[in-house]
Amino acid sequence: MKKTLFATAVFFLSASVSAADLKVLTYDSFVSEWGPGPKLEEAFEQQCQCDIEFIAVEDGVSILNRLRIEKSTTKADIILGIDDALIEVARGEGLVQPHDIAVNGLKQELNWDDADFIPFDYGYFSFVYDSQKVTTPATSLKALIESDASVIYQDPRTSTVGQGLMLWVKRVYGDQSNTVWEQLSQQTVTVTKGWWEAYSMFLKGDADYVLSYNTSPAYHVVTENKSQYKAAKFSEGHVAQIEVAAITKASKNAPLAKRFLAFLISPEAQTIIATNNWMLPVVDGLTLPPVFSELITPKRIGFTPKEVAENREFWVREWRSAATR
Amino acid sequence: MKVAGWISLLLTSLITILAFQGLIGFSDQGPDWGLLSDSYFHSILAFSLKQALLSALLSVLLAWPIARALYYLPDLPARRLFLALCLLCFVMPTLVLITGLVSLLGRSGALSPLVATIFGGDWNLYGLNGILLAHIYLNMPFAVRVFYQQFKSIPDSSWKLSMQLKLSRWQQLRIIEWRSLRGTALVLFGFVFVLCFNSFAIVLALGGGPKSTTLEVAIYQALKYDFNIPEALMLAWTQLLIAGGLFLMVSRFGSSHWLSIDTAREEWRPVPTGWRARMMQCSYFMIWVALLLPLLALFSGVTQGDLLRIEWGSLLKPTLITVGLGILSASIGMALAYAMLTPIRQMNLSAQPRKRVLFEWVATHALVAPAMVMSVGLFIFLLPIIDIDRWGIVFVGILNTALVVPFAVQKLKPRLYQFDAQYNALTRSLKLNGRQRWAIEWPFIRSVFLSTYALVLVLSMGDVAIFSIFGTKDWTTLPWLIYGYAGTYRIAEASIASIVLLSLCAFILWLFEKVQARHA
Repeated sequence: MKKTLFATAVFFLSASVSAADLKVLTYDSFVSEWGPGPKLEEAFEQQCQCDIEFIAVEDGVSILNRLRIEKSTTKADIILGIDDALIEVARGEGLVQPHDIAVNGLKQELNWDDADFIPFDYGYFSFVYDSQKVTTPATSLKALIESDASVIYQDPRTSTVGQGLMLWVKRVYGDQSNTVWEQLSQQTVTVTKGWWEAYSMFLKGDADYVLSYNTSPAYHVVTENKSQYKAAKFSEGHVAQIEVAAITKASKNAPLAKRFLAFLISPEAQTIIATNNWMLPVVDGLTLPPVFSELITPKRIGFTPKEVAENREFWVREWRSAATR
Repeated sequence: MKVAGWISLLLTSLITILAFQGLIGFSDQGPDWGLLSDSYFHSILAFSLKQALLSALLSVLLAWPIARALYYLPDLPARRLFLALCLLCFVMPTLVLITGLVSLLGRSGALSPLVATIFGGDWNLYGLNGILLAHIYLNMPFAVRVFYQQFKSIPDSSWKLSMQLKLSRWQQLRIIEWRSLRGTALVLFGFVFVLCFNSFAIVLALGGGPKSTTLEVAIYQALKYDFNIPEALMLAWTQLLIAGGLFLMVSRFGSSHWLSIDTAREEWRPVPTGWRARMMQCSYFMIWVALLLPLLALFSGVTQGDLLRIEWGSLLKPTLITVGLGILSASIGMALAYAMLTPIRQMNLSAQPRKRVLFEWVATHALVAPAMVMSVGLFIFLLPIIDIDRWGIVFVGILNTALVVPFAVQKLKPRLYQFDAQYNALTRSLKLNGRQRWAIEWPFIRSVFLSTYALVLVLSMGDVAIFSIFGTKDWTTLPWLIYGYAGTYRIAEASIASIVLLSLCAFILWLFEKVQARHA
């Protein structure tokens, strides 16, 4: 038995990875072959004459959890892919350092002014429907919840999209959220663990609306040439999800990490991200497929990262109690 | 050997202790007692209990008539094959079952329109329905096997006596059947209850939302987004207390020989005729169909186009990794189980029932400990110490081993006790040394040893919960690949990978059956 163990150990050691100059901790789909990761890597490596390596975990939340556990022992120089709702938690636990990059070139509506985090894409949470099936879509969150349309959304405890709906309902309904959740549960087909489970069920025709992003229709137009999927624009306004990157406090190569963050908001990287991650670019003036200009442009509402960090736990409790009833 | 036994017990306990230490140490906080007064906590606790109770009750109740049919009608066609299928169902990787059930009864499943007509258009797989179906599918066949073995241990003399006394059917049932089966039924109920109480993959996939959440799933959710360790701890302690307490109780009061292979030769039993026989035949055939349906659905979900499209080469590496990991976990698991049974057998021989039950519990405690806490806790404990990206797969192996040990212990234990009862006095009086003793013991336990090895090998090949924490892309296992496919709703690819995994399991069980038959 000892021999076998030893042999295994040697085997695993020999399969070790070579050390890269810059290690980026991100989520799975970002680095998949159809995601933006590989193309960004190629573009940046040409610029910097260096070697970057992605470490992928399941999703945005896992990135933060991983960093929370590892703290100063982390190998990652950059975390890429948590969203604005998690910013305060990461900052509060002292996991990141300032980026020193001028962010005045970013889009106005982002209203970005953060010393530690750089946004690299964003999107508005939206309910997506099939316009061949739903001919008169809901024009407000209120109308959707009062209709009898079937809905699929994600669990706010395991999905950032699900959390988006939680913030949306909270912003629009405030203290009445409780009854809204109960009402919504009547027309909910299922609450899924993650975004893709929900979205695929919707595509198979299991519900009228699915919670996703205002950018989802672009994907169908560009890659499938299908224009029937639309995002409903709600009069109350929409909550945005801004995906961000930052340099870890433990980074051993902060100058290179800063270069990478600056590269992330360059037109070249922004074009790659928008058309491979299917989110909106954070800078103006890019040449994107025409469908991007046809996407709905909702009014932005929501909470500051600080407010989210302070109330999140309570709001989740409220949701889960109401949705279980 | 005795020292090795104590070390094995210590090692498996250490994994659990370190895992809890990982969580407790990280948060510097105890369990979240406030949860006790949260209505959400009450509802998940109630749901966990309800679904486990229903799953266990239905599994045991449905298994009873099937086992009777097998026992009373020795001429049923394909009985051996049926018993083999029962074992395959029990060890079936949950993801394979989920894929089968979804393609059969999901929203666009093959049977859904039919079921919808029967239930008035309100059929929904997601929720309690799906959870119960899957749990019964996994556990009922297992219960059939156990009951059938127990039936076979009813001595001929009981039946002959009952004929002489002219007992009615009801009296036979009450006095002979029930008496010989009740101990088994209780332990079986407890065992299935614990398995379903701790169910994770099935509930997460088929539960369909916050209404059907079990403690294990809630632990996952608490750890996932909020990283709320106090809440996870509170849930984990609750689970450990309930499942562990129940398990301890049934091991204390129930018959301890429930997984034993029988030695009694049965030659005579009453043979039912007329409508009773036809009812039994009918239920036997119906259950065949029920067990085969999800498997057939797997196959029918795959078209020729899918078979051509899939990259078969991409399945090869995950398959080899799965088998390799499985063999490693099963071999070490068996060695640990055998070793830790040595001191426990001593306690059994020297009549220390309390001590024995306690240590039997320690040996099998991984069955009741929340798998999510074990893997996440150990992950947290190890992450600062070692490079998980490189060594993760080793810990997949270690945790897998820890999880199969209880099954190995449960199955080996009765045969070893039997050996002690028959041969201990002899080996002592002959003053045999260890090697000579082993020469007698090995042929006696070989058959059980091999079947147990096959069981734990197949069980360890199907796990995903641990891989989801420790696994890395470079070391993808076959179940994880299925999970990836199913998670992105590539049902055809998931079905093909499932068929490969299932065939592999069936092949292993068949192979060991062959080897066993040669030595029998």
